[in-house]
Amino acid sequence: MRLNLKKIFLALLVLAGFFSVVQSWLSTLNLNQGGAAIDAWEARLMPAKKALPIKRGVIGYVGEWDAPGISYAYWDQESEYLLAQYSLAPLILKKGAVEEWNVAVLSEPAFAAWQKANQGKFEIIPLKHNVYLFHRLANP
Amino acid sequence: MTVTSFLIFLPAILIGSLLIHLIWPERSALALFLKFSLGIGAGLGISSILFFLSLLIAPGRVNMMAVQLALLVVFIAIVILRERGQAWYRFKSPTLSRLQWGLIGAVLLALVFAILASVNIYNSRPQGAFDAWSIWNRAARFIYRDPQNWRATTSPDLYWGTHADYPLLVPLNVAWGWETLGTETQRVPFAQGLLFTLASFGVMFASVGLTRTSGQASLATFVLICTPFFFETGIGQISDIPVTYFIFAACALIYLYFQLDYAPILMIAGFMAGLSGWSKNEGLLMVAVSVAVLAVTSRKKMFKPFLWYLVGLAIPMAVIVYFKIAFAPPSDLFAGSSHDTLTKIVDFSRYWIILKSLGQETLTFGGWPFSILIGLAVYAVVMYTNIPSDSRMRFFVLAAIILLQLLGYCAIYVITPHDLEWHIGTSLSRLVLQLYPAGIFLLFSSILEPEKIFAQKA
Repeated sequence: MRLNLKKIFLALLVLAGFFSVVQSWLSTLNLNQGGAAIDAWEARLMPAKKALPIKRGVIGYVGEWDAPGISYAYWDQESEYLLAQYSLAPLILKKGAVEEWNVAVLSEPAFAAWQKANQGKFEIIPLKHNVYLFHRLANP
Repeated sequence: MTVTSFLIFLPAILIGSLLIHLIWPERSALALFLKFSLGIGAGLGISSILFFLSLLIAPGRVNMMAVQLALLVVFIAIVILRERGQAWYRFKSPTLSRLQWGLIGAVLLALVFAILASVNIYNSRPQGAFDAWSIWNRAARFIYRDPQNWRATTSPDLYWGTHADYPLLVPLNVAWGWETLGTETQRVPFAQGLLFTLASFGVMFASVGLTRTSGQASLATFVLICTPFFFETGIGQISDIPVTYFIFAACALIYLYFQLDYAPILMIAGFMAGLSGWSKNEGLLMVAVSVAVLAVTSRKKMFKPFLWYLVGLAIPMAVIVYFKIAFAPPSDLFAGSSHDTLTKIVDFSRYWIILKSLGQETLTFGGWPFSILIGLAVYAVVMYTNIPSDSRMRFFVLAAIILLQLLGYCAIYVITPHDLEWHIGTSLSRLVLQLYPAGIFLLFSSILEPEKIFAQKA
């Protein structure tokens, strides 16, 4: 009786293992192309990378969290910031327009709010798809 | 490109395998398979250390393939010289029963499904998991794109979420892989992740095979392969599977040392434990825990073997200590003041949250249709057999390492400066994963084998 129980448990373990691994494989058959979003983000920031006059060192990163009065989803902004860091490596991105050169990803209302709050402090170089370069003016 | 992304790691793997063979010249089929599986990790560890040293000496582009091929020639020459006149003719492939062949077949079939699932996941998201691009491949890009200024990857100006303090085994291999292929393909980190995953299966099969039987080895490997979370993490291009692999390899080798009583095995174990710390910070806890447990054990007639372990640790630990002192910014985990830390230590609600989360993790871990941890516990009760007195020491040493490592993880949660529930939610399953293969190894090395179940008559 005890021996049969052991055989049954062994068989159950093998069956459950197959069920687990086959289920896992089946669940991957129609996965969405999550990687495409990352590629698109990289492509979106490529013009900024090319336009920046520095290729190493520290630049600023301006996101919606820097635009006064604009509501934003924190984790979306955090992910976009990390994606920007990944895309623009080996440049180091610090949060905010804190360096001479700064890259910004802002929706139209966020850009308007940010620009209003920082009038005359930066030369603004607009690129495509809501990406901007902000160059700090020496004597604003 | 896919095949070449794997092939570029072949010299490193051969170097690692030959090095281990030189230290441990056992020639049985299982021992050779174990040494090859260990050689994958050892070789990738050696290649990353070599690249790190070359960047320290002369920052810039390095032909790592040429360096490794030269080293491989040296190792082949040494091994040929030593193997001349050895009794290789005695080598025999093992004879297996139908049951054993059946279980090996189950392992191979499960492996096919796991690899197919892995390829599908890679195709849907070639950049890997969130941490892959935000931490590990981000660091690899810093090194590959600007090797003269590679130190920027550890800059304190980097946002804490990029974890500039993390050790560099994985990113360094990715960076020299890109350099070798001349392009920044995602297939290189994918190949490295898959190699560590497959090597973990290999270490499981060979080490349980050496401690018990082929049937038991097949079952242990089967359970690991059929854990979707394991291979999904492996191809996620993050360092959790490398650190898991090294922790497991060190544990299995420590156990084997006690069984075979051959002290140089502990040198390989120490090297593997050191490389766990060069893969991810949790590996440093493994170094501390394993040294503490072996130091306590060494009071009982094993002081010299303990020294072998320390010798194995020496090179990777020297690299880690230098990296941490000279380059790495402070870890975000120790950013709180001592007053904050003390407040957290005496806040018992934190312990309750951690305990509750561990309980929940026990129920959901691994991606099986039921709780695999509880399932394995029940299986262990059903298959319980008395641990022979000569096996008790190795059982308790390994159990102590696993338990102390888990307690160490919990201690970090207690003092974390981050929101505790967020921190647990984003990391606990991976921490449990880091101890999962070592736990499976211990379990299947201690319970009744399928051969005995089917040999007994009701």
